[in-house]
Amino acid sequence: MSAERVLTWGNPSSRQSVEIRRELVASLVSVAGMVGRPVRQLDGSLIGKLHDFVVLAGAGHPPVVGYVVEIAKRRVWLHASDVAGLERGQLILQKAKFDFADVQRRSGEIQLFHDVVDHQLVDLHGVQVVRASDLYLGNVGDGWRLVGVDTSWSTFLRRALPGPRGWRPTPTRVLDWDGIHSLEVSEEKGVQLDAPNSHLKLLSPADLAELLSDLGRSERQELLDDLDPEDAADALELMSDEDAASLLGDASVERAAELLSEMEPDEAVDALREMDAADREELLNAMGADDETDLRSLLSYDEDTAAGMMTSAMVVVPAAGLVSDAVAALRAARGTPDEADMVILTDADGVLVDDVTALELLGEDAARPLAELTGAPWPITVAPDAPLADVVDAMRESLGASVVVVDADGRPLGRILADDLVDALGDDERRWPWQRLAGGAA
Amino acid sequence: MSETINDIRASTQTRPAASRWRRMAVGAAALGAVMGPGLIAGLSDDDAAGITTYSSMGASYGYQLLWVLGVSTIALILFQDLGARIGVVTGQGLAGLIRQRYGARAGVGSIGALVLANLGTTCAEFAGIAAGSEIFGLSRYISVPLAALLVSGLVLRGGFRGVERVLMLLSAVFIAYIGAGILAGPDWGAAARGMLVPTMPLTKDAILIATACLGTTLAPWGLAFIQSYAVDKKLDTKELGLLRIDVITGAILTGVIGFFVVVACAATMFVKGITITDAASAAVALEPLAGPLTKELFAVGLLGASLLAASILPLSTAYSVCDVAGRPAALDDSPREAPLFYGTFAVVTVVAVLLVLIPGMPLVPVLVLSQVLNAVLLLPLLFYMAGIARDRRLMGEHAVGRGITSVYYVVIGLIICCIGAMFLLNVLPV
Repeated sequence: MSAERVLTWGNPSSRQSVEIRRELVASLVSVAGMVGRPVRQLDGSLIGKLHDFVVLAGAGHPPVVGYVVEIAKRRVWLHASDVAGLERGQLILQKAKFDFADVQRRSGEIQLFHDVVDHQLVDLHGVQVVRASDLYLGNVGDGWRLVGVDTSWSTFLRRALPGPRGWRPTPTRVLDWDGIHSLEVSEEKGVQLDAPNSHLKLLSPADLAELLSDLGRSERQELLDDLDPEDAADALELMSDEDAASLLGDASVERAAELLSEMEPDEAVDALREMDAADREELLNAMGADDETDLRSLLSYDEDTAAGMMTSAMVVVPAAGLVSDAVAALRAARGTPDEADMVILTDADGVLVDDVTALELLGEDAARPLAELTGAPWPITVAPDAPLADVVDAMRESLGASVVVVDADGRPLGRILADDLVDALGDDERRWPWQRLAGGAA
Repeated sequence: MSETINDIRASTQTRPAASRWRRMAVGAAALGAVMGPGLIAGLSDDDAAGITTYSSMGASYGYQLLWVLGVSTIALILFQDLGARIGVVTGQGLAGLIRQRYGARAGVGSIGALVLANLGTTCAEFAGIAAGSEIFGLSRYISVPLAALLVSGLVLRGGFRGVERVLMLLSAVFIAYIGAGILAGPDWGAAARGMLVPTMPLTKDAILIATACLGTTLAPWGLAFIQSYAVDKKLDTKELGLLRIDVITGAILTGVIGFFVVVACAATMFVKGITITDAASAAVALEPLAGPLTKELFAVGLLGASLLAASILPLSTAYSVCDVAGRPAALDDSPREAPLFYGTFAVVTVVAVLLVLIPGMPLVPVLVLSQVLNAVLLLPLLFYMAGIARDRRLMGEHAVGRGITSVYYVVIGLIICCIGAMFLLNVLPV
């Protein structure tokens, strides 16, 4: 975590720091700089040139397990133990004779120069997408390991220089590799090269949403695959509907269905609306029956009406029940997409009676009938086909808490929360004026 | 339970009210949502430099070289479509992909040349605004800063959809050229012949103007822009078909407008033997030949064209720089979130405005140099694009096959011929 601070130098303030820097730089090997450099035997005779470094993917600082060396136009594999040293821009071999094997990509192996340098990476601490200008190897006793990634402009420019200046390490903005999530996109699709990164857990949904929208298409899919379904669903809810739909569209149907069922129903529906009909059908059919029914009924409403923006997630309790029933229902919904901070009370016919917030229930006697808690202020309701402007008025009237959508018989269909309204207003703003008037699909 | 699902399925799958009109409306809305990149990137290629080239083509060679415009339009369709596809499929901009696919030297070289060429071209656009406004008697010291503020305000305050909307409205001024072309009373038969029968006077100037026409239509910044724009717009691979309609519409409109500019100048100046040096002088020369309204229409078109390109060039540069650096670049981000993006935008705009406004600044060498850089940069850029398009690792199932790639190489070969011929004719005394 502090690696960035340790390895970042602005203006060296003292002679000591200059010394430390010089020593540290001398101990680092620049991956981009070494590629294409000569490979020699101990006696100094030239046998080929370095094509790439191979590391074993995993948490922390992955070890260099081998090298790809180009000898007379043929690429061969060289095991790490056969190398005596990486010195002055050359690879020195241990022995005089080798059996050179052809290069085979094995699962879990990453070719540093061709897979990582100049590609997009996720910096988990700075929470940003970066491009690797160079990678640095350090010898930490048990051999060479990937220790850091340089993301600076100056290093990128340095690599375009000819001669030794092009390959000497110039660490400027170096991030600890331990805090990097590599989005190595493998040549053979479906090979999982990255161990699931525990650091991903530390990111907030908003951060994840931001990262996902900054990445390239295959890279963001890679990141999405590495996330837990709940985290991924939270991030998807915070993305724009188009972004979420495009991410879900790229994922496998099973994975997308799983993520959709983890999302809040109204957010899931917003994303589904952005997809084309065939994909939407395929996804819905892949979901569990309950989720499918929920989402389909929400989808059947026009997007610009109260029902189109409501969430079907609500906790409904018979008004004839007790405080303990309401509390139990709220607790049962906790952690599910149905989680809410109020219960909706209905009579025997399922008609809305009142809503009771968790705050009102707080400290109430468990045995007290819910009927005693009902009374003004009554919940503000809107019809399913109420237009956006009516919902805005109703929300104002309700003093900003929430609005209940009820059918013609007064039965609750869902709730509209302030964030749903903000989303709907935001969408409206992005439309062309004539689309706003017509209120059609845009 | 299963019954209810099936009921709902039935109701959502086959909407009984879904008439043909409704389906057409939905289709139009889907196209409307995708529209933008091709239209804006295409039309912005008809910028001040483009109008100048088309004007002198018409003034010097009449209708004879109109077919070059047709070839340019086809090349524009091919590569704009390719750029948009690469953007949608990879989700990355052109400059970043060049860095990733071709390494640091190619990346540094491309972005360096692109920034310089874009800066020069932005100067050309502001110079176009200056010339256009001075036709109406408005000093450049008012019009250029005003235009710069307008353009920056639009991008900084407008957000993505806002910018898109204003740019599309702005491109409507190109209709002015169609009006100017018709008012000039051209010989339509000769125009059709020039469009369909390729003939080429083998002189230095003719080859120069033909190459310039290809080069100004197929500009590097336009290619980089359409790709970044498609990325920023977060289009889906399933929308590629709609995007192609957008690209083709934009390119054909670009060609049509170029056609009317050539025709307007051919019908008037070529007939009278008047040659011109830039778009503003073309507007002035039009007045006595085709009446005052033609001049005004021509000037309005020049102003709008320059303004459109002047909003896109700093934007395209900012996209490219951020993309190479791997920093966030999106119109939806705030300046705080994307300092490099907005910083690049500001530097390009301010430097270009200063170069145009400070008296004694060597504007002409800057414009010429940027045109040369654009031409030099175009070839490697097209090769890189063709290479990326073939790369299965980047493009996956959307990678193009050998057949289509060879079409790209034919176009690239044609451009090499033009540039080669121009070079030879410029070096050898004719």
